Amino acid sequence: MALSSRKSRRDVLKLTAYSTAGALLGAPAVRAQTKSLTMMHESSFVPPYDAFFKNKLAAAYEKEKGIKVNYEVVSVGSLLTRVTTAAENASGPDMTAIGFNWAFLFDDKFVDVSDIAAEIGKESGGWYESAQESVVVNGKWKAIPFGNIGQLMNWRTDWFKQAGYEKFPDTWDELLEAGIKLKKAGHPFGFELGHGFGDNHGWLYPLLWSYGAREVEADGKTIVIDSDETARAVDFCRRFYKETMVEDCLGWTDVNNNKAFLSEQISCTNNAESILWAAKKDFPDMAKVIDQSENPKGPKGRFHMLNPLCHSIFAHTKDQKAAKDFLRWLMAPAQAGPWYDIAVTYYQPFLHHYDEAPMWKVEPRNLPYRDALKTAHLPGWPAPLSRAQSETIAKFVVIDMFAKACSGKSTKEVIADAQAQLKQIYRAS
Amino acid sequence: MTAVLAPALTRRRPPFSLSRWVERESVFSWLMVALPVAFLVALVGYPFFYGIWISLQDRPVAKPGEFVGLANFIRAWHDPVFRQVAVNTIFYTAAATLLKMVGGLGLALVMNQDFRFKNLTRALLLLPFIVPTVLSTIAWQWILDPAFSVVNWVLKAADIADPGPSWLGNPHLAMFSLVIVNTWRGLPFYAITLLAGLQTIPPDLYEAATIDGAGRWGRFRYVTLPLLMPIIFIVTMFSVIFTFADFQLIYVLTRGGPANATHVFATYAFDIAMGAGQFGQGAAIALSMVPPLALIILAMAIYMRPSKS
Repeated sequence: MALSSRKSRRDVLKLTAYSTAGALLGAPAVRAQTKSLTMMHESSFVPPYDAFFKNKLAAAYEKEKGIKVNYEVVSVGSLLTRVTTAAENASGPDMTAIGFNWAFLFDDKFVDVSDIAAEIGKESGGWYESAQESVVVNGKWKAIPFGNIGQLMNWRTDWFKQAGYEKFPDTWDELLEAGIKLKKAGHPFGFELGHGFGDNHGWLYPLLWSYGAREVEADGKTIVIDSDETARAVDFCRRFYKETMVEDCLGWTDVNNNKAFLSEQISCTNNAESILWAAKKDFPDMAKVIDQSENPKGPKGRFHMLNPLCHSIFAHTKDQKAAKDFLRWLMAPAQAGPWYDIAVTYYQPFLHHYDEAPMWKVEPRNLPYRDALKTAHLPGWPAPLSRAQSETIAKFVVIDMFAKACSGKSTKEVIADAQAQLKQIYRAS
Repeated sequence: MTAVLAPALTRRRPPFSLSRWVERESVFSWLMVALPVAFLVALVGYPFFYGIWISLQDRPVAKPGEFVGLANFIRAWHDPVFRQVAVNTIFYTAAATLLKMVGGLGLALVMNQDFRFKNLTRALLLLPFIVPTVLSTIAWQWILDPAFSVVNWVLKAADIADPGPSWLGNPHLAMFSLVIVNTWRGLPFYAITLLAGLQTIPPDLYEAATIDGAGRWGRFRYVTLPLLMPIIFIVTMFSVIFTFADFQLIYVLTRGGPANATHVFATYAFDIAMGAGQFGQGAAIALSMVPPLALIILAMAIYMRPSKS
């Protein structure tokens, strides 16, 4: 049988047509039947935390309710992009972890969960006030807060002791004094001043607030960055950088300070619990001489950054009731408790039920993370949640104000830059 | 299935037969091209025009857009960071492209000689280009970290500097470092393409030039370079486009820091669109790349036109 070239051409066209039709017809048929939910999360710094959901929580729920819960992990730093894609296309996972002010940004795309939030609060001793700062939009809860990934001072007790400090300095000025001594002794500080996601905001916003400065008033309109308080904070930061830190901090992103601390290049930084966690795993001797403390006080008090991990339900979810039931089940102490435990306070609960939980006794050095919740706020505070707030973060306005001062520009100049940028950002929204 | 359908389509011979029409050369060729064209329209054309449409709107994430005309572009123009980004991008592109051009040409000339392990060397040369950028950039992250840097280690061991330069912490050095990493990654592309060009130059031209009394430089200047010009032009054009729109390398190493010293169009547009959720502004910033790119390419096309002679 001689196959002509004509025939094979025709075959090609037909094959294409059939397979396209097949793909179009086949896909929806499979989806309709399965009874399952999908939760999206950023890959946790504490791997057992992700494993616990997949192996224990999801399995328990399937056994109990017959609903399979998938746990979709995305790489660190890409969660916002994935949430954006899912919300814009109204497809993808049913539930997602969120942070910062995303409950506001995606307001219309998330389900109102005020009812289960109230039930969970009642069941578990009530919510911390700071929990609401990031999830309540126009009086409605758009997410269920899970835990705060606090950013605190990580320091080497042995080197501080050599410099004459038994306790962590209580004020920024005392910390500067300690840093000068430690740098002279060959143990400089290292605080991120570059374009990272978290470790830069983690100390620069609290520093700004503790000097009594802020970007915007509570009305969300009046720009007040150009103040004597800001100038004092900037002046302090410049000195702090020049006299205590390694030069490289200006270009750091979030991984650098962990690397520098664990390789004994620096004696103090601002970070989440991850340094101590990693040290205990890989450098047990070093772990013995690491401690964690609340941020120092400034002239106007002590502040911390709020860095919440919350769970939201996408409005495109077919069965919103099923998703709510799952979140409600997840946040009951029988489930949430062991999940918090597995990460040993890396996620600090926003529920008072856990204030004296046994996990705080496992590693007492983590206790300051619990106490810091009372003075924690989102970047942009005290203004309400807004788009401008996101833009300020994405443009690194406050971070770069400090960074430019550290690399040699005058205080007046860097504040004027920040003021101009903030005016443009807040006017437009 | 074919056996059943094929006779059914060809048995009767109506005035118009679809299968015959399809098989006409003029129609069939278009049908074959249609798929790639549809692919390009869907994946390049549509996003491009959709990008233009979005850039004319105030379009926050998860909210409907509102037409604002050129407001996003005007806003970008008044944004000091945008201006810095423009300067950074142009500097980054110019410096990296120049280094790649000179280095690539030199490398190609060397590779064109006969020597032992020539083929192995040529294959190894491609490595920086083959390794996924994100992975090789992470290796560079270690090389550029003063605490772990081999460079700083050597400087320290040789008693030249301690602790050595802060490659990504100093604003000027950071830009310099990025240009070097980009050059490292892009050099093989230049070298291999130019090498292919070198091999198409007929040896008799060199012989003729030698007889006419041309030395090494003369042969390069009057034979190699003119004949290589069209290829240099194409490679440079590609390189300018890729470098101008570079994202991965900068995003992994500095994310635009310190204090925007290394922010370029692509990273800034991404931060604004995805980080801040301002699609309109992000699209406007990304589209701002188009006119300068078009101008550069036009200028190059005029200046380096191969048919000048």
